[in-house]
Amino acid sequence: MNLHLSPAASADTAPPHIRIDRLSFDYGGARPAVDALSFDIAKGEFIGLLGPSGCGKSTTLRMFAGLLAPTSGQITIGGQNIVSRPPWDRNLGLVFQSYALFPHMTVAQNVAFGLRLRKVSKEDQRARVAEALRAVRLESFGARRPSELSGGQQQRVAIARAIVIEPEILLLDEPLSNLDARLRDEMRFEIRDIQTRTGITTLFVTHDQQEALTMCDRIAVMNAGKLEQIGTPAEVYDRAATPFVANFIGRANNLATTLSLSAGQPTLVCDGQTLPLPTDLPINAANGSSIAVMVRPHAIRLRPPSSDGLTGTVVRRVFVGSTIETAIKLDGGQTLIAELRPNSDDTALAAEGARVGVDWLARDMRLFAS
Amino acid sequence: MTKLLSILGRAYVIAIFAFIFLPMLIILVISFSADSYLSFPPSGWSLKWYGTVLGNAAFMTGLKNSAIIAVIVAVLSLLLGLPAAYALVRMEFPGRTLIRNLILTPLILPAMMLGLGILMVFTPAGLVATYPGLVLAHLVMTLPFSIRILQTTLSNLGTDVEEAAMTLGARPLQTFLQITLPRLMPGVIASSAIAAILSFDEIVLSLFIVGPRLQTLPVVIYRYVNERTDPMVAVLAVLLIAISLTIVLLVERSVGFAKAFGR
Repeated sequence: MNLHLSPAASADTAPPHIRIDRLSFDYGGARPAVDALSFDIAKGEFIGLLGPSGCGKSTTLRMFAGLLAPTSGQITIGGQNIVSRPPWDRNLGLVFQSYALFPHMTVAQNVAFGLRLRKVSKEDQRARVAEALRAVRLESFGARRPSELSGGQQQRVAIARAIVIEPEILLLDEPLSNLDARLRDEMRFEIRDIQTRTGITTLFVTHDQQEALTMCDRIAVMNAGKLEQIGTPAEVYDRAATPFVANFIGRANNLATTLSLSAGQPTLVCDGQTLPLPTDLPINAANGSSIAVMVRPHAIRLRPPSSDGLTGTVVRRVFVGSTIETAIKLDGGQTLIAELRPNSDDTALAAEGARVGVDWLARDMRLFAS
Repeated sequence: MTKLLSILGRAYVIAIFAFIFLPMLIILVISFSADSYLSFPPSGWSLKWYGTVLGNAAFMTGLKNSAIIAVIVAVLSLLLGLPAAYALVRMEFPGRTLIRNLILTPLILPAMMLGLGILMVFTPAGLVATYPGLVLAHLVMTLPFSIRILQTTLSNLGTDVEEAAMTLGARPLQTFLQITLPRLMPGVIASSAIAAILSFDEIVLSLFIVGPRLQTLPVVIYRYVNERTDPMVAVLAVLLIAISLTIVLLVERSVGFAKAFGR
């Protein structure tokens, strides 16, 4: 019944450190906030939970922390189901978007809080607090109040306070969204660096695909309460499993086409123009069905217009710096955005108003039957 | 044009302040009068009426009674108001919004009506002209304020910090005592101070339930003014203002008034 526990799977692989199994939460709205979410997290892994606001990622995090009871499903850590345990009995570190430091305590008292409740001896407390503050490079700030620190420093205190208790998993809830842009880039590497040095398994909730791509070992992309795809940053970027993932992570062009199997070789028809399909492209759809073609703007190539393939007119050309962004209106009416390299042959063709042919490598396109 | 408007605006604000504070200023001046009747400006200056007040047994007993009642009311207002505010902000139960909206009704109802109602209940219960009776009557006035102030402070705190404490291992009671309560201090001090001031100044409800055995200072003053008018009344008014002001200043010094009321 339980696919995850089939003998073959458990015989040669160790049980995962953390397993989320058909986790659901229903507020009683039109659809569940989290809908049968399942994935595994390996020990020491840095996992991103990525999705737009309202996708259920924060709800998932709150269920992890014990601040919300799941409607159904399990979260197991080291084989033990934790969903019935109260938050104070889970040994998790949670870093809030607002940092949620204790304003009436010093930095050192903030960090020592979890140790004090665990009845750690005074000497050990001091040593471990010092070690945690060193890990976040705030060793000389122990006597200060949170209100005397900058946003980035408060953030690091919150991380120190969470990691000092040596949690089973560190939960980060949009930790960068309250910081200004420059500090955000700095903290991105800082957080990843702290995680690598301490080796603490981390679940990082964010709506920012750039953060997820640059920081995470793997990314779980959520939409409307469901898991769309989980994979390495390269996997979710290059081999998006769903149109949602393709469009949420990175920029994407979407072309509406129709599959034609009549002419021997399968082709895609886009408003009367045909796109040849390589025969080895796996597509499981009937003749005449609608296919969405997804191409990244940087994968698009221009060539002189010809009778086969897609042709169109350059309607806009914008210098962005590292690329030339070009909008091409296809003769069928749909518009593609291309990011061209400056001083390339492609760019030379892309004068505003010029007629061009458009193509891309087969490996650069993703097809979704709709 | 805008300059004229701003001058007019300033003059208007000054006029309003004068309207509020001039009577008090006149009373302060009269309290130092050497005359034996109320007149302004006084024909001579002296501190003799201060001496008379401090030597008046009825006033001093009233002051003592009012002070004792104010302290007890302040403490009870906090002890009863805090759990109520906590429940209204943090817990979900049917009718919560209704109760939240109704909590200030005692302040809207005419005090006369409340006083009469309280008298009807207290007479058979033997609470008239007793400390418990006066404390209970004053609580009717102070609790809505206390609950409202604590409610505001509590909802301004949010729940993140408490949730952070819980994930670090704090049980609910530990969280409340070590995290919530210290952060609630401004509201605790403000609500207690307001309760003490309201109780100390309360007259309408008190009039219904005081008796010859037990009188509060405002009631003693009221009765005195009914019969006589001499500068002693001005001295008493100054003393009442001074006491209220002292409490306000203490709050300002300890937490800052603006902060105590959640801005």
